[in-house]
Amino acid sequence: MTLNIPPPDILLQLSLNGALGGAMYGVAAVGLSLIFGTMRLIFLAQGAMIILAAYFVRALFYGLGIDPFLSLLIVVPVGLGVGWLVYQGLFRRAAAEEDRNISLLIAVGLMFLIQNLMTVVWGGNTAAVVTSYTASGIEILGVRTSFTRSMGFLIALAGTGLVVLFLRSTLVGKAVRAASEDMEAATLMGISPHRVNAIAFAIGISLAGAAGVAVATTFPFNPFAGFIFSLKALVALALGGIGNVAGALAGGIILGLIEAYVQYFISGGWTNAIAYGVFLAVLMFKPEGLFSRPYKKA
Amino acid sequence: MANRLLEVNNLEVAYGDVGALWGVSIHVDPGTIVAIVGANGAGKTTLLKTISGLLKPKRGEVFLNGVPLAGKAPEAIAGMGIAHVPEGRGLFRQMTVLENLELGAFQPKVRKHFRQSLEKAYTLFPRLKERAGQKAGSLSGGEQQMLAIARATMSDPSLLILDEPSLGLSPIVVQQMFSLIETLHRQGVTILLVEQNIHQALKVADYAFVLKTGELAMQGTGADLIADPEIQKAYMGVLEVQ
Repeated sequence: MTLNIPPPDILLQLSLNGALGGAMYGVAAVGLSLIFGTMRLIFLAQGAMIILAAYFVRALFYGLGIDPFLSLLIVVPVGLGVGWLVYQGLFRRAAAEEDRNISLLIAVGLMFLIQNLMTVVWGGNTAAVVTSYTASGIEILGVRTSFTRSMGFLIALAGTGLVVLFLRSTLVGKAVRAASEDMEAATLMGISPHRVNAIAFAIGISLAGAAGVAVATTFPFNPFAGFIFSLKALVALALGGIGNVAGALAGGIILGLIEAYVQYFISGGWTNAIAYGVFLAVLMFKPEGLFSRPYKKA
Repeated sequence: MANRLLEVNNLEVAYGDVGALWGVSIHVDPGTIVAIVGANGAGKTTLLKTISGLLKPKRGEVFLNGVPLAGKAPEAIAGMGIAHVPEGRGLFRQMTVLENLELGAFQPKVRKHFRQSLEKAYTLFPRLKERAGQKAGSLSGGEQQMLAIARATMSDPSLLILDEPSLGLSPIVVQQMFSLIETLHRQGVTILLVEQNIHQALKVADYAFVLKTGELAMQGTGADLIADPEIQKAYMGVLEVQ
């Protein structure tokens, strides 16, 4: 068997497209990472939230003529509010329980509810946002690629950057990090668990909003497309190391690269199988993620 | 007495098999060091966790300056002036020394005095100033304990609770730890101290309570208890063998 080594420009094209697509998994994973950090909950409805945001972006575009990228200015603040309300309304009571299964079931229930509500409102068919620039391309590193994908990548980068900045340089952000590391010790500092959980949810869902913009402008979508997104985000989270926000974005990009290479070198049918295989392998052999060094115990 | 800082009445806490409490009453007067001593599983940590709100009592009451703490969340109790350094220190190991100290002053009313509190903490613990940018988890055991105590003092607490501060430290560092506790005491900090190092604890304590399998076995001034033959036989003999 001979392995066809493709010419460098194809390889570059492949890598670029993989990385750009993977950044969207990454931004979804950053949201998962934050929520998991403080609540120890895998928020499976994240993907459904992304698709909901995509429909919202579509409604703003076709209903009010608001440009999808400009609608970030609406979607992100709305996401913050929705996240806060989702926590206060749905998770606050369950968060007080030691047992996280209740919270997990609420997340699953919320996912199905959103999926079915979207089906009722917008129908089950595939939807898309087609703008004047949807088909246009730009050149990066001498390689032609899609404009919307590149914008999606920038959104993911900016979103993650802002979250990292918030976590590192504000006192409330530090409180979120402290709570992620040791909730009991954090409460002894006077930090309210409900407050940090609500902040994690608010930021997580606003990131879902940003990802929704990226999805809406790049792919056709339907009400049930979100679940796969949640799963891919989970893979990205595991690759990047649970609790590592920048790692989650990197994990998404790595997953995107893996998918692009598998698709080219093996076949499209294998992409998901291999992605989940990598997921299991990471959890088995490097559960702390690809980037974290084992912590030195003093 | 009217001016008790902390008053615990008839506390009953169910907490697994070990560490339950059966009708324990203690009190702490302002400006004193009070020690709670006893063997493993006597309920010392359970008592501290109940005072700071991490555990809910089945029966009994806790008052801080006469205000009942019943039903209050730990973050609210922290805001009322109790700083609890838990067993195992509860440091944020992935965060820097400075970040840990900042979080010690998280509560809004102490946040505005952050600069002064930090200055004070650095004067008391110069080592921490040198290591400000280092991750807490990379410090030595003794430095970590210093950081945990320094962080607790950042909120200028009316009551500082220390759970086994000497645990896992070398004898020299234990000495430093106890002299530090005395320094804090001289600065007017009220301290409630749980220790297995009973001799040391009784030496620094103004008053002490002895817990035995979840009940109060004895109480008295530190000096009285050190001289008590029963205490010597039951606790210190064992410790000297260790």
